[in-house]
Amino acid sequence: MRKDLEIEAIIEDYLGGKLTAEEKTAFEELRKNDPVIDHKVVAHQLFMDAAKQYGVIMSLKQQMDQAHAQMDVEAMVNQYKPHPSILVNFWRNNRSGVAVAASFLLLMLFTVYSYLHNTKQNGSYDLMRRELANIKSNQNKLVRSLITSNNTTTPAPRGPLSPAKFGGTGFALTTNGYICTNLHVVKDADSVYVQNGKGESFKVKVVYRDSQYDIAILKIIDNAFTPLANLPYKLKRNNVEMGENVFTLGFPKDDAVLGDGYVSSRTGHSGDTTQYQVSIPINPGNSGGPLLDNYGNIIGVITAKENQVDGAAFAIKSKYVLEALDAIPQDSLGKKVAPIKKNPLVGLKRTKQINKIQDFVYMIKVYN
Amino acid sequence: MSNKLSSSVPTDREVVLGILNNSEDALNRLYIGYFPMVLQFILNNNGDEDDAKDVYQEAIIVLYNKIKGGNFELSSKLKTYIYSVCRRIWLKKLSQASKKTNNISDFEDVIAVEVDVEYHEEKDLQFEKMGSALTNLGEPCKTIIQDFYINNLSMQEICEKFGYTNTDNAKTQKYKCLQRLKKLFFQI
Repeated sequence: MRKDLEIEAIIEDYLGGKLTAEEKTAFEELRKNDPVIDHKVVAHQLFMDAAKQYGVIMSLKQQMDQAHAQMDVEAMVNQYKPHPSILVNFWRNNRSGVAVAASFLLLMLFTVYSYLHNTKQNGSYDLMRRELANIKSNQNKLVRSLITSNNTTTPAPRGPLSPAKFGGTGFALTTNGYICTNLHVVKDADSVYVQNGKGESFKVKVVYRDSQYDIAILKIIDNAFTPLANLPYKLKRNNVEMGENVFTLGFPKDDAVLGDGYVSSRTGHSGDTTQYQVSIPINPGNSGGPLLDNYGNIIGVITAKENQVDGAAFAIKSKYVLEALDAIPQDSLGKKVAPIKKNPLVGLKRTKQINKIQDFVYMIKVYN
Repeated sequence: MSNKLSSSVPTDREVVLGILNNSEDALNRLYIGYFPMVLQFILNNNGDEDDAKDVYQEAIIVLYNKIKGGNFELSSKLKTYIYSVCRRIWLKKLSQASKKTNNISDFEDVIAVEVDVEYHEEKDLQFEKMGSALTNLGEPCKTIIQDFYINNLSMQEICEKFGYTNTDNAKTQKYKCLQRLKKLFFQI
């Protein structure tokens, strides 16, 4: 009993590090030789750790209880307890989820909005036909025509009486009166007339429509029409390169207007490979006009422009005009339109070239 | 509101340093700072405020031991850590009471704390063993042992407190008490 107490005291001092170096060595020797004492040391160590930990936790709990007492738990319970309403509970439990969903929705709305906005900016594609008439002039004309019909002695002027509703440009494909223009110029037309540089109007009919390439071929059916001289240009079958200088003659007003520019892209609107993008000033009325390079080849047909981008006009590649021509029976074309061997425009100055081609470019007048 | 919160909830760094330095203030602020979060969790998952208090205190003990253990690395926010530990403990309690544990309403992010919680459970077992051993020990042994081993009173002080005539008597008494306590402790 006495001995046990002493051993216990020594173990305590040993674990507490209170023994002197000599005592420590002696005790460690004893511990090594006596497994019973060794066991006691280990058990005591374990027990002391547990006791110490117990003390620490107890004081920690005490401290936490004090802190707990400082809080108004009742009020917090009222604040946080599940609300009787399902909706409020849902909101509390899924606040972050709802927030994520809402921001996602907002983002989507914004994306869709900006996407639509963007496509609108890039995508508006204005066909360049000219709206000519307004109601007022229409009525004036009506009055005038009434007067003229009463006054039978005055010969009625040739050609249509009322001004055209829409206008465009076209160019001769053959000497016997086949004319190429855009389909959108003559679409919905009751009757179509063409007017040449000298101011003569001829009635035409639409003999070929190609809505895919927006090409229409007209035939002059007017008796007053006399066959033209040889065509001064030819239709180019191959594509031209970017940077090719080009010009166009068209009728954005009642007199022919020259537009000068260059091929700025091998593809047209939204990468349309049937068209070129041309940097050239064009206006409503230019639709259907020929696009010529410096050597007098027709390389395309002016169709449209992009209204929010500067200098982006589009022209259908001449290849498709040739395809359209192939669709018309060859014998009715009369003298072959066809690629003439020698191009008379080659090497001429621009003014001379225009001089030569202006008789072959027509103003298209559409009535409906 | 946000001002009040930021002033009352200590930063994570303050908490770790405060616990390492045994700062009562840091522990108090930590305790008060995150209790509402846990209360909300427990109240919304089939518990009451007493459950919340128990679970929260256990979680704080887990955190305390981890920081004191010296191998504490702050891999997440303390708030997330405390929340995750509470969640784990509460889920365990719920399943022990065979209440439904699916459909838990969460209010915070959760990280994996299983290892810490299991380690804590072992420790907690020892704690409870010690607690019941001390209770079974009875007076005056319990107080003597507590004073000597936990409150670190000297033999002299204990001697005076209990009116022993000399320290040897006290030592003998303490020895007897200790032997009984050890027996109780290792038995259970």
